[in-house]
Amino acid sequence: MGSVRAEFLKLKRSLSWAVVVLLPLMAVVTGAANTVISGEPLEGDWHTLWMRVVVLYGLFPLAVGVAALASLVWRVEHQGGNWNALMGRRVSTPHVVVGKVAVLAALTAAMQAVLVVGVVVVGKVVFALPGVLPPRYLLVSVVIVLACVPVAALQSGLSMLMRSFAAPVAVALLGASTGVLLLVARFEVLTVLVPYGLVSRATQLGTGTFMDGGSVTAGAVAVFGVLALGLAVVVTAGSVAVLDRRDIR
Amino acid sequence: MITTHGLSKTYRDRTVVEDLDLRVPEGCVYGFLGPNGSGKSTTMKMLLSLVRPTSGEIHVMGRPMRRSTRRALLGDIGSLIESPPAYAHLTGRENMRLVQRLLDLGEDQVSRAVRTVRLQDHLDRPVRAYSLGMKQRLGIAMALARQPRLLILDEPTNGLDPAGIDEIRRLLTRLAEDGTTVMVSSHLLGEIDRTATVLGILGNGRMLFQGTREQLFARSTPDVLIDTPEPERAAALTARWNATRDGAAVRLPGLDHRVTARVVSHLVHEHVDVHGVRRDAQSLEDVFMDLTGGRGL
Repeated sequence: MGSVRAEFLKLKRSLSWAVVVLLPLMAVVTGAANTVISGEPLEGDWHTLWMRVVVLYGLFPLAVGVAALASLVWRVEHQGGNWNALMGRRVSTPHVVVGKVAVLAALTAAMQAVLVVGVVVVGKVVFALPGVLPPRYLLVSVVIVLACVPVAALQSGLSMLMRSFAAPVAVALLGASTGVLLLVARFEVLTVLVPYGLVSRATQLGTGTFMDGGSVTAGAVAVFGVLALGLAVVVTAGSVAVLDRRDIR
Repeated sequence: MITTHGLSKTYRDRTVVEDLDLRVPEGCVYGFLGPNGSGKSTTMKMLLSLVRPTSGEIHVMGRPMRRSTRRALLGDIGSLIESPPAYAHLTGRENMRLVQRLLDLGEDQVSRAVRTVRLQDHLDRPVRAYSLGMKQRLGIAMALARQPRLLILDEPTNGLDPAGIDEIRRLLTRLAEDGTTVMVSSHLLGEIDRTATVLGILGNGRMLFQGTREQLFARSTPDVLIDTPEPERAAALTARWNATRDGAAVRLPGLDHRVTARVVSHLVHEHVDVHGVRRDAQSLEDVFMDLTGGRGL
């Protein structure tokens, strides 16, 4: 637990917060601007606004954002003698790896919270939508955060191994593209087994786009939860195994 | 405190450390010397289980250092390897708090470590504003926080000014007096010379010497200086022993007692007046130059 608490302390004055705030706001602004410029009305009120903001966001920017966060979170360890100090202390390898994934999961949750707040503000202020954002989108948001954890674990592993900031982000872009290709080709099972595909698929939950049925069922939520947990455990265990066998040079 | 047997590390076809038998006695300051690239950092990393040895054994505090035992052993070891560790965007205090959380330490332990390196007045400044000396001191405070029995410091005086070097030197002596075993590496002899009670000298990954300063001097053969009113002629007569003129004397390197007697006898036989024969006072640097084949430290 101490290692997780220590990881959260490292977020103080971190550039990560800029990504957490700016990336979802850009998605909200882009979705709103597209609606205003096209002149197409929000026929389904909140549902249409949510779809216009979140679906595109889930195809590429979200995975890339998580990758950027992972690069930022690991960058500090690659500076000076921090790697040597971290691994030269009485801290187990799983604690080091899980601590980073936990921080990334928290940052992803914060990013999703900014997105939800952004959608609500734009919906009320710009489009004067009636009522409030339906609660099911809060549930979808939880699913999106869960679906991001395997990507966070994978990107964390890559950033752990690579000193470069950009290389892991490029891998995320490639991964997200693969996810989109699988979605377009309608490989439903494969899509959700690839971490990046799972993120894209989760952001479509309840929207009726691509392979989504348009409703948010308990079964679908459970499937996403189990898949996210399973993939995260596998990827995290892989990172631990790699770190255990790797020389700190 | 530390023993290694046949410790080696090879990266692909490059052997960085070869067949190293290290003996670090408890309670000493062990000066680990060697030129840059001689394998000091790799050795220290193997001692901390940061790097896996290709072959050989490591025992720390009587227990084998392996991946399975590293966590328990590292609890009693403080370390600073290569460059000082610190998160530059955090303050000194936040960096210490981080160590406190990681190692589950008490406030008193952190305060004691900070006081030991005399950094208490600078804790609220961001580390990015620290001088290199302050970063080194913070790194040592982090290593000391858990009150380790063994402290492994890799080039802790790198980049420090003479005052900073002296301060670190005195700190290491103080720690050893308090019972901490200190292993400290350097490529600069002068930084360790007066601090270390035991020396280990590494060259090209091999141990060239291990023992006390006195034992080191006993292994070396200082130059012989022969005072004579005819140094030019005397040098010519002893040229086969690599003699050179040195002011009003002749300098002869690497002669043992037997050969020295032969040289003097030869000069007397050639009717050269010999006014005196003495051994040159050799510096530790000279001894190391001999050991490292002229590469020095």
